[in-house]
Amino acid sequence: MAKYIVKRLLLMIPTLLGVAVLIFFLMRVVPGDIVELRFAGESAFAQKENLDKERARLGLDRPLWEQFVTWMLGILRLDFGTSMWTGAPIIEEIKLRATLSFQLAVMATAIAVALAIPMGVVAALKQDTWVDYAVRIFSIAGLATPSFWLGIVFILGMLIIFKWLPPMVYTPFWVDPWQNMLQLVWPALAVGYRYSAVATRMTRSSMLEVLREDYIRTARAKGLWEKLILSRHALKNAMLPVLTVVALEFAFLMGGLVVTEQVFNLNGLGMLFVESVARRDYTLTQALVMLVAFVFIFVNFTVDLMYAWIDPRIRFR
Amino acid sequence: MTDRGGCRLDGPVRMLAIVLALAVSAVSARAQDKPRYGGELIFAVPSEMPSYDGHREGTFGMVHPLAPHYSTLLRVDPNDRTGTKVVSDVAESWVISPDGRVYTLKLRRSVKFHDGSEMMSRDVKASYDKIVFPPPNVGSQRKGQYTNVEAIEAPDAWTIVFRLKWPQASFLASLASPYNWIYSANILAKDVRWYEKNVMGTGPFVFVEHVKGSHWVGKKNPNYWDKGRPYLDGYRAIFMKDSAAQVAAVRAERAHIQFRGFSPAERDSLVGALGRKITVQESAWDCAAWVAINQDRKPFDDKRVRRAMTLALDRHQASQALSKIAVVKEVAGVQVPGTPYATPPDELEKLAGYGRDIKKSRAEARRLLREAGVPDGFAFTFTNRGVPMPYEPVGIWLIDQWRQIGLNATMVTIEASQHVTELRAGNFTVSSDAQCGYAVEPDLDLAKFQSKEISHNNYGRYTDQVLDELYQKQSRALDSEERKRYVREFERRLLDEQVHTFVTLQWHRIVPHNARVKGWTITPSHYLNQQLDTVWLTE
Repeated sequence: MAKYIVKRLLLMIPTLLGVAVLIFFLMRVVPGDIVELRFAGESAFAQKENLDKERARLGLDRPLWEQFVTWMLGILRLDFGTSMWTGAPIIEEIKLRATLSFQLAVMATAIAVALAIPMGVVAALKQDTWVDYAVRIFSIAGLATPSFWLGIVFILGMLIIFKWLPPMVYTPFWVDPWQNMLQLVWPALAVGYRYSAVATRMTRSSMLEVLREDYIRTARAKGLWEKLILSRHALKNAMLPVLTVVALEFAFLMGGLVVTEQVFNLNGLGMLFVESVARRDYTLTQALVMLVAFVFIFVNFTVDLMYAWIDPRIRFR
Repeated sequence: MTDRGGCRLDGPVRMLAIVLALAVSAVSARAQDKPRYGGELIFAVPSEMPSYDGHREGTFGMVHPLAPHYSTLLRVDPNDRTGTKVVSDVAESWVISPDGRVYTLKLRRSVKFHDGSEMMSRDVKASYDKIVFPPPNVGSQRKGQYTNVEAIEAPDAWTIVFRLKWPQASFLASLASPYNWIYSANILAKDVRWYEKNVMGTGPFVFVEHVKGSHWVGKKNPNYWDKGRPYLDGYRAIFMKDSAAQVAAVRAERAHIQFRGFSPAERDSLVGALGRKITVQESAWDCAAWVAINQDRKPFDDKRVRRAMTLALDRHQASQALSKIAVVKEVAGVQVPGTPYATPPDELEKLAGYGRDIKKSRAEARRLLREAGVPDGFAFTFTNRGVPMPYEPVGIWLIDQWRQIGLNATMVTIEASQHVTELRAGNFTVSSDAQCGYAVEPDLDLAKFQSKEISHNNYGRYTDQVLDELYQKQSRALDSEERKRYVREFERRLLDEQVHTFVTLQWHRIVPHNARVKGWTITPSHYLNQQLDTVWLTE
């Protein structure tokens, strides 16, 4: 197992390197210039001399290979540099938003899992009954409803019916748990619903498949208690694909909630991502892509380890 | 006057009742008008500053949260709706030499920085030196506006002198620039870039906190030089990019105001939902929706074609129709309507494309196109900026208008970030263009349209020495009537004789805000009037 873990960890390096090369050169191919945007957007007096001076200050006048090597050397020292837009260290820019995004991802995952697993299992057990149909309608509606739209409905509903709106400014959980929850529970519900729909359908189909397996029939033939069959033999095995779906969704939530963040005015990574691309803030975009790539790789790695933990066959292989 | 309850008031009693009612309402109105102390103003800001240095940056996303921390030498009168009347801020008086080349300003003696140190002329000199003569490693965005400044002197602790190379009509207004914050000379001497990441001014509010992407907080400066001000205990700026979220925040009273402006639909939804709890202030905006025509490309190098394009536009009808759905309204020339150098409407109508008889204009446009050899149905690409408001509706309107004279334009919308780069590089045929000023002042508003060798923002890529000369003449004319004449000549040449470019409609600023907010007056510029020292909240 240890050898497997080391091997997987080492494999992360070329993957991240590939991502680094790709994002560095892709950003340079995209038209647009941070200096033009910052100093000539609306102003009538942006002098060429000023623009050139700023480009030199940001190192944009240097050859591409030199910019790339400098960036890579920085990454090796875990120094992602400073944002070209704000001049602040990138770690500082990301840290602030990552806390919110991580909390929202955890809350949405908790809501999704809490809804999806019981509903998926019940739907599988009561296949083709009204319970199954109800769960399927609920989950298909979840798939068809964009989270941001649901968010808008929540906001309008609260505004029109209760004349109330969630707080617009993020308060960390450790500062004021009540305010924190008042703000984040709504986006978590909006995102969690769609997320649960994916997981519910996966749980249901996976459960149906497992319930038809020979070992379940054997367990029943042995006269095992039904609840034990379901929890120990069926559910545990049915969870493997569900785990993958849940984990990948979690990784996506870390940087992909752009519109939902906008609707609820959340200061998360998704918005930062879009803004950094729109501003052509190369250093910040590169760092964010590396972060999201790392989260995806790490989550995959963790899922693989959990697979091995859940399914002994994988462990022994 | 009869009442259904049976009470009848006649003659003197009726008069007395009316007088009493008027007196009560006058007292109540006076109570309403009397500023009240206390409260925290909460406002939404749709953008966020890259750095804190006003000399370096240009975005309103910096001005709105940071301006209350600073003072400027002069300022635009917070109660002047035209945004053109210059009044004192930390300079209490000024004298201009007869030749218009020396400006001597006397400073107030009671102005203190937030760290308790006294503000003196050396601070003003250090600040303006940074703006006008920045060191090599320091960016000064508006340095180009001060090329005329020969020297800045501080002959004594309370006097500051600006010596100009030639007289400049707009110089006083440029000392009222909302960006020219007075910084501490001691701090600048230690680190000239300190203000990029820190705040310390002499303004009515002291900096408390900035959480990036989230909010900015300021509290009342108890040592502000203008005794009795500010009225507010503090303010909180919430960064909110999404306009729907801004509207929801104002509607739910999570924010009192968003100073930049809302669209007509957003205004209507707020008024519909909140009724009398909302006050709406509107003004012509010092931003205009322009059309840039690349004169390096045929047939747009022919002024007859450009003239036909402006003649096709029914601006008066568009003013009524588009103003219902977009932030454009006023039919304007090169200056914001209603401001001192703006051309009066009847005179404006003499310019190409401003006439009331659209049939006649379009017939003339078709004739010009035929004469220039442009075939009916001639196709070209109109490049539009990827920002919905107001570019999208204005773009659609333009295409429709040009179609009516036989020009077939296809709109290609490109991302805002790319748009500036493409315009500058000349990678377009005809494009939307915008010009926003931080003050209504011909020197600022016309500079862009000088020849490409002078103006880096001349997207039409033309050279017109007559225009350049007129720009200089208006800039140096100290007599306002003479200056007006040059501005009109400039306008006529730009929009009518040569049609290097043209305005569609002036933007229209709409600020619906919570009726509790008092003491704030809308101006044509969303950069002005943001010190908040005059703002107060009712109960």
